[in-house]
Amino acid sequence: MPHRYSRRSVLTMAGGGLAATVAPVRHAFAQVDDRPWFFLTDDEARWLAAITDVFIPEDAFPSASQAGVVDYIDFQMATDYGRGDGLYLQGPFPEGTPEQGYQLPLTPAELIRAGIAGARGEVDLARMDGAQREAWVTDLSERDDGIGDVPAGTFFSELLSLANEGYFADPIYLGNKGYAGWDMVGFPGAHAYYLDLVDEHNRPYRRQPMGVAHDPSGRSTLPRPVGRGG
Amino acid sequence: MADRTLPRTDVVIVGGGWTGLTAAYELANAGQRCVVLERGGPRHDATHFAGPEEHDELKYALRYGHMMDVKRETLTFRHDRRQQALPMRRLGSFLPGSGLGGAGIHWNGQLWRPLPSDLRMRSHYTERYGADFIPDDIAIQDWGVTYDELQPHLDFFERICGTAGRAGNLDGEAHPGGNPFEGPRTSDYPNPPMQQPISNTLFGEAAERLGLNPFPMPSANVTRAYENPYGAQLHPCTYCGFCERFGCGYLAKADPIICVYDRIRDHENFEIRFGAQVLKVETSQDGRTATGVTYQGEDGLDYFQPADTVCLCAYALWNVHLMLVSGLGRPYDPQTRTGTVGRNYSYQTIAAVDAFFDDEIVTNPFMGAGALGVVVDDYNGDNFDHSDLGFLGGGYIACKQYHGRPISYQPVPEGTPPWGAQWKRAVRETYGHHGDLVVHGSSVSTPENYLDLDPTWTDAYGRPLLRMTFNFPENDRRMSDYVMNRAVEIAQEMEHVTSVASTNLAAVDSNYSIVPYQTTHNVGGAAIGTDPSTSVVNRYGQMWDHHNVFVFGACLFPQNLGYNPTGPLMGLAYWTLEHLKGDYLDNPRPLMDA
Repeated sequence: MPHRYSRRSVLTMAGGGLAATVAPVRHAFAQVDDRPWFFLTDDEARWLAAITDVFIPEDAFPSASQAGVVDYIDFQMATDYGRGDGLYLQGPFPEGTPEQGYQLPLTPAELIRAGIAGARGEVDLARMDGAQREAWVTDLSERDDGIGDVPAGTFFSELLSLANEGYFADPIYLGNKGYAGWDMVGFPGAHAYYLDLVDEHNRPYRRQPMGVAHDPSGRSTLPRPVGRGG
Repeated sequence: MADRTLPRTDVVIVGGGWTGLTAAYELANAGQRCVVLERGGPRHDATHFAGPEEHDELKYALRYGHMMDVKRETLTFRHDRRQQALPMRRLGSFLPGSGLGGAGIHWNGQLWRPLPSDLRMRSHYTERYGADFIPDDIAIQDWGVTYDELQPHLDFFERICGTAGRAGNLDGEAHPGGNPFEGPRTSDYPNPPMQQPISNTLFGEAAERLGLNPFPMPSANVTRAYENPYGAQLHPCTYCGFCERFGCGYLAKADPIICVYDRIRDHENFEIRFGAQVLKVETSQDGRTATGVTYQGEDGLDYFQPADTVCLCAYALWNVHLMLVSGLGRPYDPQTRTGTVGRNYSYQTIAAVDAFFDDEIVTNPFMGAGALGVVVDDYNGDNFDHSDLGFLGGGYIACKQYHGRPISYQPVPEGTPPWGAQWKRAVRETYGHHGDLVVHGSSVSTPENYLDLDPTWTDAYGRPLLRMTFNFPENDRRMSDYVMNRAVEIAQEMEHVTSVASTNLAAVDSNYSIVPYQTTHNVGGAAIGTDPSTSVVNRYGQMWDHHNVFVFGACLFPQNLGYNPTGPLMGLAYWTLEHLKGDYLDNPRPLMDA
């Protein structure tokens, strides 16, 4: 599988200045990457790698950051969705009930930035070991107070959705690298024609997944808006 | 005040979806010059919906590529009158469309007829169970039009869509393998049923063992090459699994563009203007008729389009909004229970049951289609005895395989955490071994569920937002629980099922949430009927207060039935058009005495 791991996502800290103290963070991002982020700072990216790898840890299949989830979130925050497309932002902004949905005066990019800043002000996720990190994330998922300037629950559910999307969305959005997510569940992708197969019961259908930008020869021709990086 | 007044037209039609384009087709061919005003842009299946680009789950299913823009128009929502309604800041519970074809582009194609008793719900329950059976806080009404009257129109629309299915009742004669509860039909479905995958097949077998009556879901995902009565060519469905929330580039899901628009677009009496946001219906000095509509064009200027007849063919919610901001009809007031516009808003009551199979069953969930299902109708409408149940209404139970899109399709057994190693393993292990059952339940109208205008927030055109006041009626919570438990019994009876999980979105202790997707079946607010004190339009879809305004769509439903609304609302559309063409145009007047 080519590109199973994004280059930036597998940059380990080994040999780096922080290596001794943060060794458990195996897939944190590093400034040595040759491509700047669209939206994130390096610290934000490192934090996102740590938390999304708790959401989707490595097993026989890649972890979130290995599959490019941080790249995906970076790209989303920099483009239409992150900027508040499809979001009605006219005030006033009184607090509502959960059933009334999102009521913050913030775009997703603003929410993520504020939430990460709040979290980093509380703990250094990257320096925790695996068990500590998992405990902190569990705690975050149950909090109903604020984290920094934003409600912890809203921040958490936005993060979880973004991580999930990044693992399973078409690779044109820079996550799901090497079709990690599709390969894991057996989703064949965007080229879909099953008229002759639907009633062939219990016959497994396995095919190398193909995304929107896959050419018929099976090679990926992903448009890489980010240039040469992984 | 409009910037410009345009030349008069015979008919102006608000909205270019199923009802608007159908009205244009029928009226243009009847010699009426029609102008359709569509707020969105032009698009076509062949050029805009082709795979693989269309098969982009993130863009269309999660970022709502084909849906309306809440930045321009949205609504506010609350559970009851004591609460402050707040804006629906992003789409969630329902997904109205925008652009040519409207929501008819991204529907699933589940094409139903109402039960005869659905259309006379109050009379039916009163006759069968006595005058005291219906509680005071349930506002269900008769539609004022009967199944026999709608039948030819329901039949015609099934042929427009090339519907695939199996008749259960042909002219009163029972046909095995179809729905034994359906009203008598004059003809069978034009196309044979869809081919069923293993999960749906096991569901059907289990239902049969339990003495129920399974049948293939009636489907506008067409099963063979087909030409509809307007001359449109449809192709066989490929079971690609990108149906609901997507347009169909295979020309295999009936939609308003290929089935109607292509057949009328070049007619000399037909014109459509895109990017045309209708702001207001204008009325005459004496208030008895409409004079036309004011809309904002793509150039940002406001235009007045005078017309002899106005057809309101926007999505259900926006038809009601347009009436309220235009002062058409009398707004409903829940305090005094008077007025009609906004009254009888109702929804759909959805519960889900998951059946988890052992590894011998391989479902290939990505081989799906919007209306690929096996259904039992034994617990829908009044198909079962309600005497001792403490509720009225019901729903169909279906096992469906409509997609395996991996962001949205992540069934996991009960007790699985929402993230982490255990979650990841469960997603992987369950993906190809899961059966998807749904309870698609009715929704009664009540005096406290209604639509009006919000006092605080406005849309991009400066108009007050629509305000929705809604929570699940107690009746529907009980109904949903009961039918869901029947669905659980079927799931437990299915072969190779190792565990079953269920979720009732209308559970007794929970409240309606506008966040998770449930269904784009918002109905009511402009009820059809025979009594002007409880309906906005008479039984022909004509406004009581303004006889040259005709209203189309699910806003007409006085309460929601247990079926998807497109079939019933299109039956009503053809019924209205028959009377508009045959009885009204030559002699414009109220078709019923108020």
